[in-house]
Amino acid sequence: MSGPTPEERALVDRISADSLTTRRDYLRIVATVSGGLAVGSTLVSAGVLHRHGDGTAAPLKVADRLAPGEAVTFDYPGEDDRAMAIRLADGSLVGWSTVCTHLACGVLWRDNHAEQDGLYCPCHEGVFNARTGEVTSGPPPRPLPKVLVVEDEQGAVWAIGTARSGESEEAGLCRGLRERDPALAERAGCGRRS
Amino acid sequence: MSYPPEYTPSSAEPRLNRPVPERYPQIRATSGYADPRVRRTGPGPGAGTEQEPERSAMLTARVAVAITVVIGQLWALTVATNAWMAGSTATAWWCTGFSAASFLVVLAAWRIGPRDR
Ligand code: FES
Repeated sequence: MSGPTPEERALVDRISADSLTTRRDYLRIVATVSGGLAVGSTLVSAGVLHRHGDGTAAPLKVADRLAPGEAVTFDYPGEDDRAMAIRLADGSLVGWSTVCTHLACGVLWRDNHAEQDGLYCPCHEGVFNARTGEVTSGPPPRPLPKVLVVEDEQGAVWAIGTARSGESEEAGLCRGLRERDPALAERAGCGRRS
Repeated sequence: MSYPPEYTPSSAEPRLNRPVPERYPQIRATSGYADPRVRRTGPGPGAGTEQEPERSAMLTARVAVAITVVIGQLWALTVATNAWMAGSTATAWWCTGFSAASFLVVLAAWRIGPRDR
């Protein structure tokens, strides 16, 4: 069996060129797309997407000690919420979710030239300030969500809570406390703020 | 006056009621009929063109409005996603409201004047 001859193909071409999509057809298509976008927006607002690095969990010991310039990765608060605690060169301790706020790639700590580059996302060259979590360059739309890290007397590092992009540590702690124990949050002075 | 207005298969403007070859000199007797399987004469003069030429531009405008509104919805979806991810659920719901209202506008642009071609 042989395929269509060139004449037949030209004929099919000619006939399909004649089949019109009217402007009313375009209106119908555009209306369908519009409805789909409205439904999609509803789903997003209702929370189908996973908010990376958000939630509460029991305190987690992430390192016995952390020297300046060192970083340690862990999962907090959930199993899929990759995070990192970093001791900056001046000794201050910070913790960030390492799920990029752009398209959720893994954010890296480049300790060889960390101070000027901060946290680096290799997917689209996003860079976050390691001290503040703010976006310093690249496409990410939001600062990194924060993981609240503290040090105990022995120098061990613990992850104790989370704060969302741009949220203050107190607001994040209070939100976590309210979710777990509203009465305790009230007593801790969290009730007054929204 | 009710919308859409009373249907009349021609224009009030005589200029637009001229025969098709005069209105569209580029259209030949065989335009659209080069399919060699067609052996008989087809529809009469004027078939396949606008019945109400004045309403044609309006239909184009409706398509343009609908597409513009959909672009606005795409933008609103990015704002909603960003707001929800940052924890401002209220902002995300406002964007959803905007998107739903936009959908109603597109629906109106589609459904108004259903006979326009
Ligand atoms: S996913 Fe990190 S910059 Fe695109």
